[in-house]
Amino acid sequence: MSVAAVKATDTGGVPALTLRELNRRIAGQLAVPSLQNVWVVAELSDVRQSGGHCYFELIDKNESTGIVDARLRGIIWASVFPQLSARFSAYTGQRLATGLKVMVRGSVNYHAAYGMSFVVNAIDPSFTMGDIERRRREILKRLEAEGILELNRSLEWNCPTLRIAVVSAPGAAGYGDFINQLYSNGSRLRFVTRLFPAVMQGERTAASVIDALDEINSQVDDWDCVVIIRGGGATSDLVSFDNYELAANVAQFPLPVIVGIGHERDVTVLDYIANMRVKTPTAAAEWLIGQAQEALDNLRVIASDMLRAVNDKLGGCATQLAYIEGQLPVAPAAAVERARSRLHQASVSLVSASSGRLAPELARLRQMPQAIGVAVHNLLSRHCDRLDAKRSLLDALSPMATLRRGYTITRVNGKAVTSVSDLAAGAVIVTSVHDGTVESTVTTLNPQK
Amino acid sequence: MEFTPVKDLTYNQAVSELDSILRTMQSDACDIDKLAAYTRRASELLRECRRRLTATDEELKSILADLENQ
Repeated sequence: MSVAAVKATDTGGVPALTLRELNRRIAGQLAVPSLQNVWVVAELSDVRQSGGHCYFELIDKNESTGIVDARLRGIIWASVFPQLSARFSAYTGQRLATGLKVMVRGSVNYHAAYGMSFVVNAIDPSFTMGDIERRRREILKRLEAEGILELNRSLEWNCPTLRIAVVSAPGAAGYGDFINQLYSNGSRLRFVTRLFPAVMQGERTAASVIDALDEINSQVDDWDCVVIIRGGGATSDLVSFDNYELAANVAQFPLPVIVGIGHERDVTVLDYIANMRVKTPTAAAEWLIGQAQEALDNLRVIASDMLRAVNDKLGGCATQLAYIEGQLPVAPAAAVERARSRLHQASVSLVSASSGRLAPELARLRQMPQAIGVAVHNLLSRHCDRLDAKRSLLDALSPMATLRRGYTITRVNGKAVTSVSDLAAGAVIVTSVHDGTVESTVTTLNPQK
Repeated sequence: MEFTPVKDLTYNQAVSELDSILRTMQSDACDIDKLAAYTRRASELLRECRRRLTATDEELKSILADLENQ
């Protein structure tokens, strides 16, 4: 028995236990069937390996606050760890890592020096798988509800895509593969790349990649796309990429994002939301080369189309000029000839036009003298007739006719005598008869009584 | 008659003027007084077009040769 058990004055006679003894008793209390070989569901934290053994914390977090409200140290001994780990990875595409929800079988063990721990002897990978899937679905659903799920996928690619911002861990095999593939392309395509270093596994992954994306975003005009790559081992810690914050950042990133963070069956949330998903970093490089090659081929087609168009155009111009050149020496002479023939035509027309107009005029002129003769004759005879008529009338009215009938006219001093009083005895009177005059001297006047 | 100096014309303008002069010459509306001036102008335009076409052809050949070498 130990020294402690000897002094019992303050304990009422009950001897105090040594710590060793206490721990032995605890260990004894814990060695009950209900704590042996039980299945426990918990989250892994602080996973680390040492000496072939795997150490971790099993934790439970409060659903709403995220605060750890249960914790127990866990161990997988080196004797079973390789086998458990391989089976788990083969099933989930995922190695045991912090953040994973696991269902493990084990026994509570109490070690006198190291305290209580849970020694794991079996893992159910399907539980983890289901949990990972559920978490991915939740993230995708949230992104969809926020309307950003498709944003990166619907971005247009800059053509050609030659300036590439790479998010990767410096020195990682995957990054080396990518760069080698990209710069050894057969088409001498000139890619420009820059590494934006980030932690690509473990708890810091999401925050670190987001920082790198922020850095790229601050110089977004310098880049055509973002490539997030990581060297893929047979299995890898992909759960770090199933992160809402990271997914939301990638989804809303203004440049198209290519992710190549795992092999075929390692599908993360990023694979759903990134513009382009490839299996490996090498595949990412191949895809970029293919795109640029296509753009280059397209340029070649354009160049040859252009060449043809230019030749057609030049040929057409040359033909047109040759035609004009052929016409030019002929055209002025032809124009003069046409003008001359038009002149000739005009003179011929003039002659025929004037002669046509003159002939009837001449005919009319020729008939004119005869017509004038007739007209004058008619006119004269009309006037003669009229004069004859007038003379007859005049004859009838003339005093001669009266004189011939025996009447006379007596004038004194040239004035006709109409009264006795016009005369005096001795006056010389002239008496007109139809065939002459008689001079007489008045001897007697006999006025009527 | 006032003509734009040929140097100030584009190739297309020059050819279309050439074409129009030729058509005028070939039409009955051709003014004989202007025929000499037209002919002089046309030959000037033709020479300029020919010169530019040749220069362009050579320039294009050299550009396309560059393109092939890239």
